Amino acid sequence: MAGLAATFGSGAMTNSIGEFEDADLFLVIGSNTTAQHPLIGTRIINAKEKGAKIILIDPREIQLASFADLYLRHNIGSDVAVLNGLMNIIIEEGIYDKEFVKSKTEGFDELKKVVSRYTPRVVEKISGIDAQDLRKAALMYATTDKAMLVYAMGITQHATGTDNVKSCANLAMLTGHVGRASTGVNPLRGQNNVQGACDMGALPNVFSGYQKVTDEAVRNKFEQAWGVDKLSDKVGLTIIDMMEGAEKGDVKALYIMGENPIMSDPDSHHVEISLSNLEFIVVQDIFLSESARFADVVLPAASFAEKTGTYTNTERRVQLAHKAIDPPGKARPDWEILCKLSTISGYPMDYKSTADILKEINSLTPSYAGITYERLKKGQCIQWPCPDEKHPGTRYLHKDKFSKGIGTFIPCEFKPVSEPPDEEYNFLLTTGRVYYQYHTGTMSRRVNILEREAPRPYVEINPEDAKKLGIRANDMVEVVSRRGSIRLKAEITQRVPRRVVFATFHFNEAPVNVLTNPVYDPISKIPEYKGCAVKIRRLT
Amino acid sequence: MKLLEKNNLIDVLKYWAGKYCVLTPSKKEQGDCIFETFDEMTFTLDYGKPSMPQKSSLLPQSEVTFEIDNGTYKETLQANDTLLFGIRACDLMGIRQTHNFMMRDNEDKYFTSKMDKCISVVMACKGPQNKTCFCTTTNSGPFAEKGFDLQFYDMGDTFIVETGSNKGEELILGKYFKDVDELKARGKIDAFKKKAQENIPIVDEVKKAMTILADGTADENVWEYLGKKCIACGSCVFVCPTCTCFNVYDLVVEKETGQRIRAWDACLYGGFTKEASGHNPRPTQASRVKRRYEHKLLYYNKDDIQEAICGCVGCGRCTDFCPVNIGTLEVVKFIVNGEIPYTFASDRGGQI
Repeated sequence: MAGLAATFGSGAMTNSIGEFEDADLFLVIGSNTTAQHPLIGTRIINAKEKGAKIILIDPREIQLASFADLYLRHNIGSDVAVLNGLMNIIIEEGIYDKEFVKSKTEGFDELKKVVSRYTPRVVEKISGIDAQDLRKAALMYATTDKAMLVYAMGITQHATGTDNVKSCANLAMLTGHVGRASTGVNPLRGQNNVQGACDMGALPNVFSGYQKVTDEAVRNKFEQAWGVDKLSDKVGLTIIDMMEGAEKGDVKALYIMGENPIMSDPDSHHVEISLSNLEFIVVQDIFLSESARFADVVLPAASFAEKTGTYTNTERRVQLAHKAIDPPGKARPDWEILCKLSTISGYPMDYKSTADILKEINSLTPSYAGITYERLKKGQCIQWPCPDEKHPGTRYLHKDKFSKGIGTFIPCEFKPVSEPPDEEYNFLLTTGRVYYQYHTGTMSRRVNILEREAPRPYVEINPEDAKKLGIRANDMVEVVSRRGSIRLKAEITQRVPRRVVFATFHFNEAPVNVLTNPVYDPISKIPEYKGCAVKIRRLT
Repeated sequence: MKLLEKNNLIDVLKYWAGKYCVLTPSKKEQGDCIFETFDEMTFTLDYGKPSMPQKSSLLPQSEVTFEIDNGTYKETLQANDTLLFGIRACDLMGIRQTHNFMMRDNEDKYFTSKMDKCISVVMACKGPQNKTCFCTTTNSGPFAEKGFDLQFYDMGDTFIVETGSNKGEELILGKYFKDVDELKARGKIDAFKKKAQENIPIVDEVKKAMTILADGTADENVWEYLGKKCIACGSCVFVCPTCTCFNVYDLVVEKETGQRIRAWDACLYGGFTKEASGHNPRPTQASRVKRRYEHKLLYYNKDDIQEAICGCVGCGRCTDFCPVNIGTLEVVKFIVNGEIPYTFASDRGGQI
């Protein structure tokens, strides 16, 4: 999100899910859309039936590859090079949107200078993508009127994640594919309310609506509303900062809500050391997660079906969900737990309902000002920004001008994965999710049918590699990185290219984050889940 | 045959609600209609084709079949006197087909015990509820010929009420049900039926596709194409009035205590046919989509079909709800035309 904020001025999906049906072209990079966002994937497929073209750029030959008019299999971590290569061709051919670039953007000369080095031949060497194919893709994307760029965690979960995002934004600006229906840069968020959590300021540096804690006027506003003297003007810690702090002893206590760092953070052994070093841990979750084993106090939270409140989905749409059943036992909605805790700690919080809380959000968050409980209750589902109660919400961003005024090209140089394969650790491991399980499995692994469909961890291995290593389908193998090892069954499949293996982070029998490399994007602090060096052997 | 003033319907439902668990169409805050326990405030006659058929009254989405308590087993048959008011003829046909299936070979007591206590009051359709209705093609609507206890025909300010069983006779003893001239009422119903039937166009491709499937001459590319598109969500199965597949699993509370539960399942999931060895006789999504539609259009047991023509009752919900347009209406057209919109790059791309 930092990448889009820097280039466009707003860190969110620019366009809407409904607009997918009317697009003429999709450039999908780093998104297994049909498996991870199936209802968006289906819109891509339906648009294809109406004649839309699909360009897929992905190291794994996913389901969408069979629908793609052009499938480019690039090497893991070469995204910046590929995107620069596309821009190189588009500028060389003179088919960029000159009017758009001139009137709505800045920094074009700098961009031109950087991408000029990324000729198709150079990019072919880095990425493995045939120069002719790259050329075809560039021409298709630049010359199609309604072209949507779609990405997901395949772009962001790299040490160069922010650079990858900026490069996507550069490409869209260069071709004028922003600020109109069925175009734009469309990050598909990985969780149903991750957009909402960010919007509400669950980030170290902002209050709700991305209002900076370093801005005095902003702080004054919140101080007044909350009746407190002084709010901190210091940016807080990211998860990785907290873990490092815990290891060093600077951080003493941790309050974990709906998160399972032992399974989801890179280099699990290290996370374990950090957590063990803390003096006090609270875990608030709907089930007893792996991380809750480390907790001094576990607070049982209510699930989605047991509480009323709003979610903000990937397209910035705020939707109200009603409680269907009572929470079991002593479980309570998260907001009730927080209010009680705050009250006990000496700051009384007396919100009566989530409607009460939304009222405060309306008054303090300009982009949510018009998204009132009354409107949501009537069945409206409103997309922010929505500055007042008359405003219908915003289907796509940057309509006449960018949120920050002028869009900024921020050219990036290609940097390889932090831990490339070598003679000993001769494979690159990339991680992700499968259709039937969700994240660390805290929820989905309790569902019988999902367990039947995806009961155990697999590592995907290319048939040629498997042959060399003497590995057959369903053999138990050991995957080892410099940080640890896991044991799981092998799936022999063309889905992964040679020298690449894929595994998911759903299964505590073979927690893949034992292996992953704890290096982070310097700005967003997202870990490099998508590439680290491993070796594999068959277990006898 | 009786006559009921529309004004009196609520009182009748209230009366019935004293004797049965009455399930009626109910309009929710945001306009969607579901069948639920009668509530005067939300009851509606403007419900078109409800998004779900009423099979869940007889085959709940999940159901405890027995409980294990400290090592002792207890069967948990649950059946209440239930009255389904306002179900559509296609959905009644779905229930009748399912009933026959559940009676054959080994009787499914969980289903039949509920069926024995279930009363069906059908609301005949005046015409298609939306553009995907094709019950006139499958011989399963727009009104019921058999199997109902009562059938209502909407005549504006009144309903003509047709009796289909002894249970139905007992229902209409109350003061609100007026006698009518049998011959005149019959004439009105016949006119209603004729008009309703004419309103719902026949979809020729359904029967043609059935013939092609029976001859074994369908183009395999069609299944390949549909299999590539299918996202295995299971919507078509869950909204289908005749889909009955379930999975059985154990909910272990602690040692020797827990529940055995059955829950809806879908043949479109790979694990549905996967064997313990890992081998799967329906290994691809294409083979699973093919099997599902062949089951509806070709393999349905002759006895189960009743007066309809196949295991599809023409409600069109699979077409309504499939996010990638793989419903019966689309499938039969692909089978008959043998044309697919585009071909796929050879062997590229995998399953979901």
